[in-house]
Amino acid sequence: MAEGIDTRTDFVQTISYPRKGEDGAVIEIEKFSLWYGSHQALFDNTLNIERGLVTALIGPSGCGKSTLIRSLNRMNDLIDGLRISGTIRFNAENIYNPDVDVIGLRKRMGMVFQKPNPFPMTVADNVAYPLRVDGIRDRRVLDATVVRALKAAALWDEVKDRLNDNALGLSGGQQQRLCIARAIAGEPDVLLMDEPCSALDPLATAKIEDLIYELRGRYTIIIVTHNMQQAARVSDNTAFMYLGTLIEYGDTRTIFTNPKHGRTQDYVTGRFG
Amino acid sequence: MQPLGKEKNTYDGEHREPDKPLPQASRAHDVPTGSALAARGEPFLWGLGGALTLGISMIVGFIILILWNGLITFYPKPVCMATLKNSRIIAGEPTRSELYRVADEQMESLDPDVQDEIRANQGFASRTLYRTGNYDLYNEDFRWVSDFEVQSASMPPDIFFVERLEWGPFIGFIHSVRLRSQELKGESLELGSLYSEHLKAVRRRQDVRRIERSEIGAVNHKMEKERLALRRVALRHGEQSDAFQEAQARYQERVRALQAEYEQLHSEAESIKQNDAQYQVTLVDVSGREKTILLSDIVRFYPANALSTFQKLGVYVSRWLEFLTQEPREANTEGGVMPAIFGTFVMTVLMAIAVAPFGVMAALYLREYAKQGRLVSIIRICVNNLAGVPSIVYGVFGLGFFAYIVGASIDELFFRERLPSPTFGTGGLLWAALTLALLTVPVVIVATEEALAAVPQSMREGSLACGASKWQTIRHIVLPKAMPGIMTGLILAMARGAGEVAPLMLIGVVKLAPELPIDGFFPYLHLERSFMHLGFHIYDVGFQSRNSEAAKPMVFVTTLLLISLIAVMNAVAIYARNRLKRKYYVGHF
Ligand SMILES: Nc1ncnc2c1ncn2[C@@H]1O[C@H](COP(=O)(O)OP(=O)(O)O)[C@@H](O)[C@H]1O
Ligand SMILES: [Mg+2]
Repeated sequence: MAEGIDTRTDFVQTISYPRKGEDGAVIEIEKFSLWYGSHQALFDNTLNIERGLVTALIGPSGCGKSTLIRSLNRMNDLIDGLRISGTIRFNAENIYNPDVDVIGLRKRMGMVFQKPNPFPMTVADNVAYPLRVDGIRDRRVLDATVVRALKAAALWDEVKDRLNDNALGLSGGQQQRLCIARAIAGEPDVLLMDEPCSALDPLATAKIEDLIYELRGRYTIIIVTHNMQQAARVSDNTAFMYLGTLIEYGDTRTIFTNPKHGRTQDYVTGRFG
Repeated sequence: MQPLGKEKNTYDGEHREPDKPLPQASRAHDVPTGSALAARGEPFLWGLGGALTLGISMIVGFIILILWNGLITFYPKPVCMATLKNSRIIAGEPTRSELYRVADEQMESLDPDVQDEIRANQGFASRTLYRTGNYDLYNEDFRWVSDFEVQSASMPPDIFFVERLEWGPFIGFIHSVRLRSQELKGESLELGSLYSEHLKAVRRRQDVRRIERSEIGAVNHKMEKERLALRRVALRHGEQSDAFQEAQARYQERVRALQAEYEQLHSEAESIKQNDAQYQVTLVDVSGREKTILLSDIVRFYPANALSTFQKLGVYVSRWLEFLTQEPREANTEGGVMPAIFGTFVMTVLMAIAVAPFGVMAALYLREYAKQGRLVSIIRICVNNLAGVPSIVYGVFGLGFFAYIVGASIDELFFRERLPSPTFGTGGLLWAALTLALLTVPVVIVATEEALAAVPQSMREGSLACGASKWQTIRHIVLPKAMPGIMTGLILAMARGAGEVAPLMLIGVVKLAPELPIDGFFPYLHLERSFMHLGFHIYDVGFQSRNSEAAKPMVFVTTLLLISLIAVMNAVAIYARNRLKRKYYVGHF
């Protein structure tokens, strides 16, 4: 586990957490409940995600973190028998309105998954994918985007000679950063990350954490994580969920040092999982 | 009672690999030794291995049989001349020998010492099947000769095996050759010059054939076109109209021109034929019966017992070439199978073209778009069952639906002038290909569905999360990833379709097709034509010809060819699939 993370701890202390997002909430979740068939996974959750900050979602397995984050870009639409109630507003627009353009919504929310899922094509084609599906064919635009996104994802130096190699040949950590590059290539407002490091080794994890720190401010980032230290290191705000309910939400430092709820206290101190 | 373990389990739930083996107690000690053998499962292992071995050896044996018989058929065999005890002389290629039980009435007519010998052999004697040829003289191609009948046998070096256009092979000696007024005989008959004369004669035959088939064929084609054009005018304007009168005048004028062209070609062919008739060869069989034929009626001839290995290989290769590139003769038992190869190939390709989009689209809908539920399950079961419907049923359906309903309507709409003779309203290449496409579509659907299901959900999610539409995701991510699997399904379908015969017999395959489905006349690919097929050819040659013994080697050769054709088509498809795999691996936009 060691070095990679240990060296990070000192920089954590140097972060100055902004108390509030600069222009208020970008996503407002209100009384949001969700059912998989007859099984209710989310219960009346209400929280606001602040623009430009990193928000961590923590909680034990099966508490509904993935369900919630996947509700934000409507990835749950793929599941048969799904039902919801309540509203989620993105830039003040209810994304579950029947006339919402789901594809446009997803273009404004990049998503990174638990397991790296690069497409079986070249590195460059992977990054250019969001633009290509948008109909952009201009080589110069595509090339510029690929370079910019790869640089932003701190991958450029490692892959600049391998742009036309198959992406599946990259290491796990590189693949995940490639997925981040892909997610930000289309210039989204929000970056959703569902346990982006859980399949990676400590060194690769540290790189991704660095990257999140770099991207902070440019994008609103929501990250689901199992790793308490990670949440403490990278996030401004933290939401703790338990059995489908939001238990506590607030400033990361407060959640970790002075939580209001006993359960939060137990969880962040590792007394239960 | 395990707070620690439980806690860890919940916390790590998502990280634990599901297939990580659980710790297991070693069970070896618990098993009573009495049932050890069954418990260890070894008898089953032997059984399974045995079944596999049996299966493989049957396949290998089958392939060796086909290969061996198919490959040796064209190798020239020596000709044996035997003088029988009743002083008859026969000559022929010994094809095979066997033991047989001598009938009682036959026994009585034999010499006593021969009888003793047979009795010592428990009533069995051995006999050999000679391919004697000379069907026109003997009314049979093959003759059994018992060993005890033979007085003496020899291999005369000057005996010839002569393959003819008609009546099958002639086995005997060359008596004399007439080249116009010159008669060659005995000493003056030299083999080298005979070969070159034969070559010239063959060229004359080919000239005649070219004139009669291609050139006169083209004239006939034009005449038919004129006739149809006139008929079209009649159908549109009526036979009393001015337009028709005008068209008729034009028609008669054109036909007259074509007729003149035809006469000219005809007389050209006739003059070549008359010239050709002056080149004759007189053959004589071993018992002295003579037969005079045109030199150009000979396909190939060789002194069977005086060939070097090299010359034998030459004959072997030239027979294969004839087989692969020529049209059949003599009710398909001789000559080549080129039209059948061609028909099989074109039909299979058309079938693949028809079945691929159809099957892939159906599978895409079932797997990617349809709401997975009872209805889709039922459809899936139906599709699977469709694969089990006897193929002849498809033939009946194809004939009834495609030919008699769809085809008849097409004729009514577009080919009125040709009625009452049907164009699409009868079996043909297109309907056969579509029928087989229907027959093989379940294979493609099932394989495609499997391939689609094997594409990881995470890839789809990744693409959708990038803002790709469902169709873009399918088009750019799912289909390329599933393509090798889809190609595998297509390959299986092609293999199945290329070997199918039963439905084709109802819907377009004929014993002898007058024309190839592709030729030089517009529209070049004639989908309405009937065609020949290797599978049907095997059936026809082996079981429908006058002389099944003579056809037997051809059955093996044609089978070998059919298998090879399917193997080659599959190899090409597999090659294409592997290239595709590599291509889609690196960039595909
Ligand atoms: N596709 C699904 N169908 C039915 N139930 C699901 C599905 N996905 C998740 N669930 C259930 O919803 C609950 C929350 O799951 P999830 O959001 O994945 O939890 P987390 O990501 O916090 O571990 C769990 O009880 C899980 O079993
Ligand atoms: Mg999860």
